[in-house]
Amino acid sequence: MSAARPEDIACREVVELLTDFLEGALDRKTRTRVEQHLVLCPGCTEYLRQFRLTIATTRRLAKTDLPDRVKEDLLDAFRHWRQGA
Amino acid sequence: MPVALKFLAAGRVSPFGGRRWPEPFGDAPGHWVRPAGGEVYACRVIDLPWWLEAELWEVELEDPVATLECQLLAPAGRLMRRIQAWDEAAVLEYGAACALRARDFAVNVLREEGRTTEAETLAEPGELDGVARLARSLGADAVRRRGANLAAYVAESAARAAQGAGAAAANIAANAAVVARRHPAAFGVEREWQARWIARRTGLAQN
Repeated sequence: MSAARPEDIACREVVELLTDFLEGALDRKTRTRVEQHLVLCPGCTEYLRQFRLTIATTRRLAKTDLPDRVKEDLLDAFRHWRQGA
Repeated sequence: MPVALKFLAAGRVSPFGGRRWPEPFGDAPGHWVRPAGGEVYACRVIDLPWWLEAELWEVELEDPVATLECQLLAPAGRLMRRIQAWDEAAVLEYGAACALRARDFAVNVLREEGRTTEAETLAEPGELDGVARLARSLGADAVRRRGANLAAYVAESAARAAQGAGAAAANIAANAAVVARRHPAAFGVEREWQARWIARRTGLAQN
């Protein structure tokens, strides 16, 4: 099928816009398009739910929750990820 | 103060913001909801097909109310009463009605193309699974013919309707209308039909 209305947006665009959506940083028209997509798309709705859950979970974490060893491993992984990008 | 409509997820929860709206108590409306950003969204009947959710509520809005493309915007709102007729069964019926409309579009176009046997075969089944199965087989050569292309829409719309995804079934049916009538304005016309269907099913005034 290919006859979606021109203003419809794809899942990939929604994923890219989700951070701005949650921060209330989208203009009204774009936000409406994202919301209209979410009404139709259970996959993106689930992604949004997981995104919200991740934010809520990480907000509850204190610095002491992370053992030094894990912290070092994570930093190391990020360093290598940036070098590989 | 103006009264409008609002779809909420199960448990009076805003589908996007996650806020749980205060419940009306007896005949008294719920407490006012006044978000920090000052934006409460609601619907006219014509807007309903865009925002389908599990629960439909009548909501009182605080002035000034702005009319946007497919929703209303107000600084605050409060729930008045739930439209009880909009329930799980209504969602299923709505999706089926939309998918069968799409089937009618496909049948008409197949007849126009002289494919009367396929048209009559597709017109036969009364249940969604049968419609989806037949439409899927007819939609196999969708690239070459408009009728077959429409059958692919019907297959998808009927499948979504059978899963209880009324919003998706309706959206696909509205897109099918564009293909059937060869005009982008057909999308809006189909949305109007869908809004009238919801209004009829729930006993709402159609304006």
